[in-house]
This record gives sequence, C-alpha cells and structure tokens, in this order.
Amino acid sequence: MSTSELSPAPLPLRPRLTDEDAARSEDRGRVYEARRQHKRWRLLWLLVGPGLLAMLGENDGPSMIAYASDGAQYGLGLFVPLIPLLFVMAYVVQEMCMRVGAVTHRGYGELVLQRYGKVWGWFGAGDLCLTNLITLVAEFVAIRVGLAYFHLGAGVAVALGLTLVLFTLSGGRYWRWERTVLGLAMFNGLFLVAAILVGPQLPSVSSSLSLGSLEHAGANTLLLLLASTIGATVTPWMIFFQQSASADKGMTPADVGHGRYDTALGAVLAAIFGIGALVAGAALMYHGAGIEGFAGAGFPAALANVSGGAVGTLFALGLIEAGAVAILTISASTAYAAGECVGVSHSFNTSPRNVSVFHAANVGVALIAAVVILIPGAPLLSIALNANVLATVLLPVSLVFVLALANDRELIGEWVNKRSTNVVGILVIGFVGLAGAAYGIDSFLQTVDLIS
Amino acid sequence: MADDARNGGAAPGATGAADPPLPIGLGEDELIMNLERDQLVLETLRPVPRAVLSRRALLGLWALRVFSILVSAMVIYTFIARL
Repeated sequence: MSTSELSPAPLPLRPRLTDEDAARSEDRGRVYEARRQHKRWRLLWLLVGPGLLAMLGENDGPSMIAYASDGAQYGLGLFVPLIPLLFVMAYVVQEMCMRVGAVTHRGYGELVLQRYGKVWGWFGAGDLCLTNLITLVAEFVAIRVGLAYFHLGAGVAVALGLTLVLFTLSGGRYWRWERTVLGLAMFNGLFLVAAILVGPQLPSVSSSLSLGSLEHAGANTLLLLLASTIGATVTPWMIFFQQSASADKGMTPADVGHGRYDTALGAVLAAIFGIGALVAGAALMYHGAGIEGFAGAGFPAALANVSGGAVGTLFALGLIEAGAVAILTISASTAYAAGECVGVSHSFNTSPRNVSVFHAANVGVALIAAVVILIPGAPLLSIALNANVLATVLLPVSLVFVLALANDRELIGEWVNKRSTNVVGILVIGFVGLAGAAYGIDSFLQTVDLIS
Repeated sequence: MADDARNGGAAPGATGAADPPLPIGLGEDELIMNLERDQLVLETLRPVPRAVLSRRALLGLWALRVFSILVSAMVIYTFIARL
C-alpha cells in the first residue's frame, strides 16, 4: 500500500501548491524530460546527489585524520580491506534510506515519529543532535588544522564554516544547495592526489599490507580502531540526511535505480579517497616519523616534512574541504530532523523566512559548534577523536528503525527489502553494536581500574 | 505514489532544462503534473498511521535503547576521565 492510500481523506481535485511544490516540480520537470528523451547521462546527472553527499560528507575531517593516523601508526595492512568493507556496509544502510525516502517522500525522523511514536522519534533526534554537535566541533577542528598549515587561526575557521552554511542556505532551492555542496565535495579527491604523490615513497605492496605493526597493539586499541573506523563510514546523520534529502530532491520510486547508482558511486569514491588519506598517512610510518608530537593536529606539516610541501598542502586543503562539506551536510541533517520532529516545513526549497525552524536549526547547530572551538583550552583533539566512537555506539538503534521502515509493507509496498538485504542488514547491526559496545565497556572498565 | 503511471515516461507539460522557472500561480496544471500526488506538501502533512509493535518487539527496542544509553555514558565518562 502506498502512503497516499494510507491517508484518511481524499485530496481535493486541484490541490493548493506551495512554493516548495513549485520549486520541486521544476526539478522534476527536467527529470521527466530527460527520461522521455532517453538521455541516460543527463538523467543520471539530475538524479545523483543525496548518496554522493552522504558518503563524501562522511569522509569528513575527523575521519580523514583517523585514516591518516591509522596509516601512520599501523600501516595499510588492516585498513585497505577494512575501509571498502565498511563502505559496502554503508551502502546497504544508505540504499534502504534512499529507497524509503523516494517511495514515501518523507524523512527518517518524520516516519519514525509518526509510525513508532514520539518517544522513539525524539530519542532518534536526541541521538542525532548529540552526535552531530560533537561531530561538528570536530569538523571545525579539522578546518582549523588545515588552515593552521597556512598560518591561519581558529577565527578564520569559524568564519569560513559559518559563511558557507549561510551562503548555501541563501539560494532558497534544494537543487542549488545540492550542486554547490557536491562541487565542494569533489575536492575530497585531493586525498587521492596526495596518496599518488606519496605512493612511490612507500615500500613494496606486500610489505605495505603486512599486519606486523598491529601485533603490539592491545585489545582496547584494536577495538578503538574498529569503533572509530566504523564511525567514519556509517553514522546517524547519514541516515537522517539521505532519506530526507531524497524526499526533498523529489525522488520517486522510478528513481530508485538511479538512487542506487548515486549511493554506490558515493561509496566507491569515499572508499578510494579514504584509502588515499590512509596511504598519505602511511608515508610517516615508512619514513620512521610516526605521529608523536603531531597527534593529528600537525598532520599536514608532518607530511610536508617527509613527503614534500605539495603533499602537505594537498592534505591541508583536503582537511579544509572535508570539514567544510561535513559542516554543510551535518547541519542539514540536523535541520531536517528538527523540522520533521517539530512538524513544520523542512525543505531547502523554501525561502528562509518561511521555514524558520529548519534554517534556525541549520545555522544554530553550526554556530554552537563554532563557539566551542573558540573556547581557550577546550580539548578539541580528544573531541575530534571521540566523535566517531560515540556515533558508533548510538548507531544500532537508528539502524533497527531503518531496517523496520525498509520492511514496512504497509508503508512502502513492493519496495520492501529482499531477504538477502535483511540478512546483511542484521549482520551490520550486530557488527556495529558489538564493536561499539566492546570498546565502550572495555575502556570504561580500564578507566575505573576493574581490568588492566 | 509507487504505481504512478508517469514514473516511466514524461510528464505532459514538463519543462525542459533550459526553460525559465514557471511563476507560482501561473501554469499550476503543469507544475502539479510534474509531481506525484503524495509528493505535494499538502499531502505529506498528513501523518502516516501508527504501526502496531508486538510486546516482544517493544521489549527488544527498549533493551537496545537502554543498552546504548549505558554504553554511551561509559564512553563519555571515559572521555572525561582521560582528559
């Protein structure tokens, strides 16, 4: 049964159109025209966006620092296979979100709240706000780290981040917002260029892929690596963002195929660029430099020392891009969730004065995070490194609702999950839940001296 | 709507890529035809009906919820203690 069939009363013959409808209709007109004329590439161009942005947005500042740090400390062995595997996992989750958003035209927060009750809706929104706020602080830290390479301070990082949020909001159209952020997100490829420049400096493939450097890592370190790497690929904000953005873009069931291409392309690019950051970081290990004394904050400078100024510059610019794109997408996910849970308009297709809650949440959450990084002595690096872990710990509940919505035949009819998708989905929930819980409990017991 | 006939083909009156935007209030028929009915803002304002969860499903959800809050508290405590 489709959503309209669930509605209690029929629509009037000629429904009243809002400016949001008009803007979305114009975008849909282009899609219908491209489909009618069998312009395959144009159709793909028109329909890509939410998947690419979710995946490349998750290749954010803390994630790229974490990948580079992993490469610098432990080499490539564990992570070269792990990163693509985690992005396959991310694809499974995000495809479900896109499908539900395209079929129901509603966001994740809205559906959970209406279908399963306010308690679960607000719990989800609460998790999202907490993890988003912490992650946004980490994004500003990443921009600050990148700018520090060019001798620019925290004030510039704050100004840059907030200006971007305000600038992208000012268009009053989803399409403009999406294309602007997509254009910025392509610069995530700078990490790949950095890796290509570093590549010849690394030893042979077989020794690069050795797991030897992990032999001396303790169980807690391995769990931390696993939890933070999972948190670098699948997070609550991606779930909220892709489903809401798919609905805001105006995707329909006919676009699900292209939505899958979009999500898969995003996952492949994000995995490649993530491995790029890993390889660039690994240069430090193979030059015997390590990250002691740099501890993430001086990564671009450290890379410049061992691999040349070009690599350092590319890495610094990459961090600025990664932080900036993530600020835009994460703020957007907060705004979608706020609008959906409060029950007011939540779309980029309306002017700021008509969607005050949506735009206030979008700017407000970025503003709060920006203020935090200006506090003298704030433990910014610790926040950045723990952001991914907290996201991993809170993720399983959100994933359960994603799976529930994607199996809700009353809601999405024939578009429900296949049995194989459910099996993979359950495995993903189990894996994420176990990794997050194992690290959380192990670290806590060590901190309170119950285990050594 | 999932079974909308327009999904596989062109919408009559669809605007081309180079066309100027249609002003609101004018050409509303064309604007409406580009959208599925359940895509209209008016329609998305109607809430979907509540799902009925079994007692076991609810219990499982609450167990997972409480567990995730406890583990989050442990992560936050560890983070603060290690500052």
